[in-house]
Amino acid sequence: MASNFWTSSHYKQLLDQEDVDVVLPLDKEKGITLEDFKLIKMHMANYISKVAQLVKVRQRVVATAVTYMRRVYTRKTMSEYDPRLVAPTCLYLASKAEESTVQAKLLVFYIKKLYSDEKYRYEIKDILEMEMKILEALNYYLVIYHPYRSLSQLLQDTGLNDITLTQVTWGIVNDTYKMDLALVHPPHLIALACIYIASVLREKDTTAWFEELRVDMNVVKNISMEILDFYENHRMITEERYNAALNKLPSRV
Amino acid sequence: MTTAAFGQINTEELPTWGSRSADCFEKIKQIGAGMYGQVFKAREIRTGEIVALKRIRMDNEKEGFPITAIREIKLLKKLHHENIIKLKEIVTSAGPEKNDQENQDSKKLEGGIYMVFEYMDHDLTGLADRPGVRFSIPQIKCYMKQLLTGLHYCHVNQVLHRDMKGSNLLLDNEGKLKLADFGLAKSFATNHDGQLTNRVITLWYRPPELLLGATKYGPAVDMWSVGCIFAELLNGSPILQGRTEPDQLNKIFELCGSPDENNWPGVSKYYFYNNFKPPRPLKRRVRERFRRFDCHALDLLDHLLTLDPNQRWSAKQALDAEYFWVDPLPCDPKSLPKYESSHEFETKKRKQEQRQLEEQNKRPRLQHGRLPPYQHTEPHQMKDTQPSFSAGPSHHPYGKHPAPPGGPSMYPPRNQSGAYNPSRGGHVGGYSGEPYPPQGRAPQYNGSSMPASGPRGPPGGYGVGPPNYSQTSQYGGPAPGRGLNNRSQQYGRQ
Repeated sequence: MASNFWTSSHYKQLLDQEDVDVVLPLDKEKGITLEDFKLIKMHMANYISKVAQLVKVRQRVVATAVTYMRRVYTRKTMSEYDPRLVAPTCLYLASKAEESTVQAKLLVFYIKKLYSDEKYRYEIKDILEMEMKILEALNYYLVIYHPYRSLSQLLQDTGLNDITLTQVTWGIVNDTYKMDLALVHPPHLIALACIYIASVLREKDTTAWFEELRVDMNVVKNISMEILDFYENHRMITEERYNAALNKLPSRV
Repeated sequence: MTTAAFGQINTEELPTWGSRSADCFEKIKQIGAGMYGQVFKAREIRTGEIVALKRIRMDNEKEGFPITAIREIKLLKKLHHENIIKLKEIVTSAGPEKNDQENQDSKKLEGGIYMVFEYMDHDLTGLADRPGVRFSIPQIKCYMKQLLTGLHYCHVNQVLHRDMKGSNLLLDNEGKLKLADFGLAKSFATNHDGQLTNRVITLWYRPPELLLGATKYGPAVDMWSVGCIFAELLNGSPILQGRTEPDQLNKIFELCGSPDENNWPGVSKYYFYNNFKPPRPLKRRVRERFRRFDCHALDLLDHLLTLDPNQRWSAKQALDAEYFWVDPLPCDPKSLPKYESSHEFETKKRKQEQRQLEEQNKRPRLQHGRLPPYQHTEPHQMKDTQPSFSAGPSHHPYGKHPAPPGGPSMYPPRNQSGAYNPSRGGHVGGYSGEPYPPQGRAPQYNGSSMPASGPRGPPGGYGVGPPNYSQTSQYGGPAPGRGLNNRSQQYGRQ
């Protein structure tokens, strides 16, 4: 990516956790709780990765798409912006922004294959219309920085030549998109937290390496705690639980 | 000095979330048209601020918001530099189906998405094409320096512009130059092994490697275009006006010599090399064809119009060229004359109108071309420059269009403070110690102080042209008599 993160719109748009965890009044009226809100976003992040696997785009596109989706819901209600349409549209837009375009008709085809539920059924024109609304909601800020880039550099720097460690870290980074971390923390700190967790899991001693870094380890630990908390509490969420939350929202059909 | 704003944190406030409606603006007039869509001059109603609105074409888009627009937006939102056009915001206007016919007053914008840019009064081609406009050497240096500074910023940020040409270089009345139209630009950081298209850059400014079919290339492609623009500024007209791609290559080889493995290692591996290499060896004629340029300009040009992209100068190298650090120095942008707005779109339109009028009047069409800049005549250079005038290309406007007397000089008012002396370690002291020798480079002619002389150009020729730009007052003051001598020496051939 050209330019650097610290001058980017991404950096300037980082939010406080309290600002991310806001259920807007219109959604509250529908009975959406903060828990529901988080679950729906998590479910949509999953939805995006599932579709992405079918249309074969890079992980980076998924990461950008999920970040778009999460940004949209810091300002727009789920009642007005149906997550079942916003999610695939974010993937569609991210595929353009990340230079690996996916045709809208292909997307529609795979959505139909993935969900028989009528509520997920949207047509090309719906996606194109929603794309405009999302662009506006994002105020056309489309460049997103991800932890992946710093990850490989950092891992190399640790001097731990462990392929499994790399893979575990990579997997954890992917999972961070099931949370709002990308809206709150800069990507390199997220990368560090993932390395931290992975090295504990793999029983590698990285204490000395972390001590030499000039970063606020408290922030890294907080991010790590949040990730661990996610693994503890949110791994086994049933489809019913997601649907219960989604069903509180008005739907077209 | 060259890295300018790179790495600087932009502390500017972010606009509020979500985009505004185009109803905040009222249209003034169209100032541009191209394959990308239209450009309008408009006024923000609340603040009165003048902006340029570029309409993003959405028709024929099966795939929603065009990826080319996404690229341009992504790049412009990342690039913050005083020599790069600033994208202020993006606004949307309701579709035409909502505006019924009678409500559609002319100030209202058509439905669609508009990129809102800061308004710039001119583009370089539009300005240079204006009858009578002639740039001075310090002015050209000032433009070139800004152009290279902006481009260097792009290149260090790993962005290729890929459509460098005069009409994409915008100028304001403060003398600031900004790179615009990033519709073909590309970030080259992301795909190192990816193939790039070679169907970029307007033909006359396209480098030989692209014409030979290169799909891996770098910032050097923009630098070739810079060379073409630079030569055009000094020459008065585009230097390589090919009609087709093979013709363009021929013209390049006629000027720069035939490429071979000696002057361009690896050239024979290009896809089209065998199809297009000249049948017999050609000599490099850059220094010969442009020998009336001063030696530092020629040196810079020679390094920019280098066939081998690996040997071609980078923007940084070009900025360090002697040309920008010897007298006459690039002038302060603020000291440049203020012109009435001109864009290539309008200049073209004006020319068309003029042509029509002339046909109606059955008058012979007046030859009009751009005027090359005033040369700076140090005595020892005079020998070189004079004979070359007649040897210049036949379409050279000087052939038919001797410098009209008494036109407003585009020469900036020359006072000591006007000298733009960007601090370059050590050099500053050197210049201040040595008083500016004005006689060397002051072709300010008396004529400019005669307000009665009006716009330049033969009388009657520009009936539909722009209204007289009354700039004479700007130059009326300091014009010393000595300039006249220089000029008559140089241009008074008849």
